[in-house]
Amino acid sequence: MNASDDMSDSDVLTAVRDRLSGMPLASPPDVDAIMARGRARRNRRLIPAVTGTLAAAAVAALAVATLAPGAHPAGRQGGHQPAAQLAAWTVTKLADGNISVTIRELTDPAGLHSTLRVDGVPASVTFAGRQNPACRPYPGGTLPPQLGAVPTLLLRRVFPKPYREFPRSRHVDLPQRLSRVGVRAGPPTPRRAAPPRPSANQTVIVIDPSALPRGAGVQLAASSSLQEIFPPQVVHASSQCTGS
Amino acid sequence: MSNEQAEFADFFRASWEPCLRAVLAVVGSPQLAEDQVAEAFAKAWASWRKVRRHPAPRAWVVRTALNTGASWWRRRSRELPLADHDPTVPGDLGNGLDASLLTALRRLPPRQREVIALRIFLDLDNDTIASQLGIEAGTVRMHLSRGVMALRRELTPANNYGRLINERQR
Repeated sequence: MNASDDMSDSDVLTAVRDRLSGMPLASPPDVDAIMARGRARRNRRLIPAVTGTLAAAAVAALAVATLAPGAHPAGRQGGHQPAAQLAAWTVTKLADGNISVTIRELTDPAGLHSTLRVDGVPASVTFAGRQNPACRPYPGGTLPPQLGAVPTLLLRRVFPKPYREFPRSRHVDLPQRLSRVGVRAGPPTPRRAAPPRPSANQTVIVIDPSALPRGAGVQLAASSSLQEIFPPQVVHASSQCTGS
Repeated sequence: MSNEQAEFADFFRASWEPCLRAVLAVVGSPQLAEDQVAEAFAKAWASWRKVRRHPAPRAWVVRTALNTGASWWRRRSRELPLADHDPTVPGDLGNGLDASLLTALRRLPPRQREVIALRIFLDLDNDTIASQLGIEAGTVRMHLSRGVMALRRELTPANNYGRLINERQR
């Protein structure tokens, strides 16, 4: 007989709780951010119920997105989504050869990865809350972390949108600009104009494949739970990172 | 801040840690658990008038977080695998023993894990756990008993010693 045999069920549960309770945890997120996210969720839930017109428009838009030549809409994911739903993302080849990625929902990263690859863009796509740790940034391919940092020439060439639009802004906060309903996104500061966006519920990233250096790819990362898209990056293409 | 907001803020601050620990015990990955619990609290606020009247609001959050994870997992299972992307294994927890205990928990069937997590972190009785999980109280007792039996082995000093020996021999 050993010590554990003498433990009652209650003792075992207490021991498990005590040991797991000692594990360090990250600090809780800001409650205001959680409430903002809850409000956004509630609003999304209410809007279709209030305006059937919008739902009809969404159905029409979905049809257009599906039928547009050169456009690759993502399939809907999960059975819990409302019937009138735009594709989660759409990849469109533009007349000038650039690739336009419109993200409406942070789902199916593997599908987006494959679609970009078909269009000649080696990409790492993760929607799991952090960037792919296997990716190594390409020199000049990462936005400096400082608030208001100016995107590098490489970033502006590879990503005409969003970087070329704000090359000299002194207060660019890309995670905030790109966020869809991100909890980290506060109201825009009064010192800058609102970015031109086709819709508050989608993010458009334009990629110029011809501007990618040899051996480089792009990294698109986001947090599906925070509904936030991180600034796109240029990375070294590798089998672990971009899969090519 | 309105009374309702203040009420939710109090609930959030008091419940974040136990809910996170309960979900972590089930899913095994700290990052995933944090994401799912944050999402569940956002859903709780979106439906606060309903959740605040719930007999066990923390259990509602944990159950919602686990359902969020299940949806995520179902979605992921339909996706093409990407090499080394979206790792789901527990990260560096900074404590080998705790990591081994989490691994032992992960070896339990999901229902046993949920029952144990709801018991030890939310301190719920069998009847409340049963109503939360939509199962009979007797089934809860059975899951608890089997789960405890397996975890008791993990807590056995001789078993830990044997595992260390095995790891060294590899």
